[in-house]
Amino acid sequence: MADTRSAILRRIFNPSQVPLIKGTRSSSIFQYNGSALVAMVGKNCFAIASDRRLGVQLQTIATDFQRIHKIHDKLFIGLFGLATDAQTLYQRLVFRHKLYQLREERDMKPETFSSLVSSILYEKRFGPYFCQPVIGGLGDDDKPFICTMDSIGAKELAKDFVVAGTASKSLYGACESMFKPDMEPEELFETISQALLSSVDRDCLSGWGGHVYVVTPTEVKERILKGRMD
Amino acid sequence: MVKEQANWSPYDNNGGSCVAIAGADYCVIAADTRMSTGYNILTRDYSKICQLADKCVMASSGFQADVNALKKNLYAKHLIYQHQHNKQMSCPAMAQLLSNTLYYKRFFPYYSFNVLGGLDSEGKGCVFTYDAVGSYERVGYSSQGSGSTLIMPFLDNQLKSPSPLLLPAQDAVTPLSEVEAVELVKTVFASAAERDIFTGDKLEIVVLGASGIRREYMDLRKD
Repeated sequence: MADTRSAILRRIFNPSQVPLIKGTRSSSIFQYNGSALVAMVGKNCFAIASDRRLGVQLQTIATDFQRIHKIHDKLFIGLFGLATDAQTLYQRLVFRHKLYQLREERDMKPETFSSLVSSILYEKRFGPYFCQPVIGGLGDDDKPFICTMDSIGAKELAKDFVVAGTASKSLYGACESMFKPDMEPEELFETISQALLSSVDRDCLSGWGGHVYVVTPTEVKERILKGRMD
Repeated sequence: MVKEQANWSPYDNNGGSCVAIAGADYCVIAADTRMSTGYNILTRDYSKICQLADKCVMASSGFQADVNALKKNLYAKHLIYQHQHNKQMSCPAMAQLLSNTLYYKRFFPYYSFNVLGGLDSEGKGCVFTYDAVGSYERVGYSSQGSGSTLIMPFLDNQLKSPSPLLLPAQDAVTPLSEVEAVELVKTVFASAAERDIFTGDKLEIVVLGASGIRREYMDLRKD
């Protein structure tokens, strides 16, 4: 355990010096745990999906790790990167949202929430959370909203899909080819699942199935995908 | 005590992507025509595909100077083979030759990521995929180059080529028709050009069939 702790600290402060595999050149702190996250917009609905692997470099620790969390019925956030930072950030966001609910007596809009996440990340500009969020929500009039940001809060609002994770390049390719605008919830689920599974199959740090949430104004459908279990 | 790093590298990456798909009696090989260095474009009209034998076509991305040297080497060896055997090299033979040629320079490699496509001696499509030092495998489809991480998962999804680990050994060629395979290649490059900055300008598609060789071009994003 001490080894792992010091390995993480060394990687944060000197990422260029601490390799993923001993004796090779290093990779970044974002590849310590590995993951794949994607969110897609459909017709009056959105879907957000993640893989289920939690690893420590090349060892798999958990195969049912929850990366996507619910903030309220129409707002979900997925967090990619160092798992400890993801958990801390999630706890802080839930805290802020609960305070907001007490003061405003209503749920936060996704656009507002993403600005909140962005400012919380930027607070730590010179000692950041090693974590990238993917946010999906239904805003006013149930209009779907998705966004992602980098680890210091630079927002990227997209109208079609957003991706994050060690498999992000594969996800970009798969989503770009498979996405169509205005898909119904069932078709959206099929598309996002196919994109996620084919992309994680090409990435060794993510996999062990998938977790997909399809959110419509009336219900949230959570489904677990079985893919290549490796 | 920090190890001294070189401040000059003999290699450069000219970018680009290539794809090859094997069919029952055809083979589709495609590559974009952009040649770049760093963030600059050198030319929008550079062919990365070359015909090594009448039933064998190679597409390479990576460092084009090394690719050209490799091509010259292979042409010369093929010419000698033709003089000695009075026939053209078959695609599997050329595949082995390419592998040996790459491994010959194991300790100062050709910075070239190749994909070889053609028809084997039975007339079935075959695709061989390589790394920079000659490790190769016969597959049903492959992509190499800067856009390969974007293209491969989608090809996996569409072509569902069975794993080489399954027994009995299953055929690796796709059941798609030639027209469908060409359409798939066009879709895949259009998506890659959207998200990969080194892929774009024009797409060159070469189709090797029983009746011979056919070339087709398609415009891609120029940004």
